[in-house]
Amino acid sequence: MAEEETGVYIYGILPADVETDPRARGIGDPPGKVAVVKHNEIAALVSHLGAVDALGTPDDLTAHAELLDAAASEVPVLPLRFGAVVTDEDAVVDELLAPHHDEFAAALAELEGKAQYVLKARYIEENVLRELIDGDAEMSQLRDAIRGKPEDATRNERIALGERIGQAIAALREQDTQYVVEALEPLNLPINLREPTHDEDAVHLAFLVDVAKRDDVEAALERLAQEWQDRARVSLLGPMAAYDFVVTQKPGT
Amino acid sequence: MTAVQPAGGGGGGGGLDRPSSSGLADVIDTILDKGLVIDAYVRVSLVGIELLTIDARIVVASVDTYLRFAEAVNRLDISGTEQKGLPDLVEGVASGGSKAKTKGALEAAGDKLKDLLGDEEDTTQSRGRS
Repeated sequence: MAEEETGVYIYGILPADVETDPRARGIGDPPGKVAVVKHNEIAALVSHLGAVDALGTPDDLTAHAELLDAAASEVPVLPLRFGAVVTDEDAVVDELLAPHHDEFAAALAELEGKAQYVLKARYIEENVLRELIDGDAEMSQLRDAIRGKPEDATRNERIALGERIGQAIAALREQDTQYVVEALEPLNLPINLREPTHDEDAVHLAFLVDVAKRDDVEAALERLAQEWQDRARVSLLGPMAAYDFVVTQKPGT
Repeated sequence: MTAVQPAGGGGGGGGLDRPSSSGLADVIDTILDKGLVIDAYVRVSLVGIELLTIDARIVVASVDTYLRFAEAVNRLDISGTEQKGLPDLVEGVASGGSKAKTKGALEAAGDKLKDLLGDEEDTTQSRGRS
């Protein structure tokens, strides 16, 4: 066990009155044992990192996310962005927890009883293409122009058609995102709009929900999914740590 | 609850999809791009460690995207016109669509991500179909 060590990997910050699941496994290969470094009312969730050259294998990424999401289902958590490593446990206290104790404690208090979810909707390609093209004379014309013709012979028409589709989907996405935001408005949730990660994303956003309101939110989204049944697949990820709602103070600004 | 489920979503049907765990692509969108940044708090004891290069995925309009859309339209037209509305078709359309979406997801992910994921492609694919 006296192997050389890279440092202490920090996952996130949580209240001091937590205990780790002894089965919890951290990042690295072999996975580090997860521990809690405490200071007054707050603590950091950490694991010791053996000798590594680089971080970020799929296992590393998954371990970071799963550990924090599991913790967030029990207690409020301030998640750190992936890749935070400091020299040792003393540094965790002296440089991270002690100097920012009150700030972190206040943020944790604000997150008490809340969880983040990510809502994603992806257009059902066939249906959205039909909808867009049937409603547009120019695109219908281009569709007819490429029908059954080899790709090489109709390259310009294909590009023109594809570009119009891209623009139409972007406009539709904006409209549908707004629709969802308005549908969630009565529930009064903090919402963070995310960039689309796929050409056919309809909606991508994160929201923070009070545990007490969770059923209402799920019911609202279930209605949305039913309404959009032929249009988009709606999925809800979470509960997860509140990544989208913790903001780092910008030093020097 | 296990994370094993039919990747095709059982031929559609509405309802809110509640995956029991996030796919790798969703994890990447979140933990590389969001959350507190350690550098803002810790200076002296920070251990600089290389991160395998993975960029959060972004959508970039390109000729490739346009051609893919056009091809999707072409395919739609051939398979759709005379059979539209038949229940049998639903299944064919759904599986064709999954393929197209998966391809799009991988392209959007960029080469670096694709290389990194390597044998993890299953994760990405099932996400692409979700």
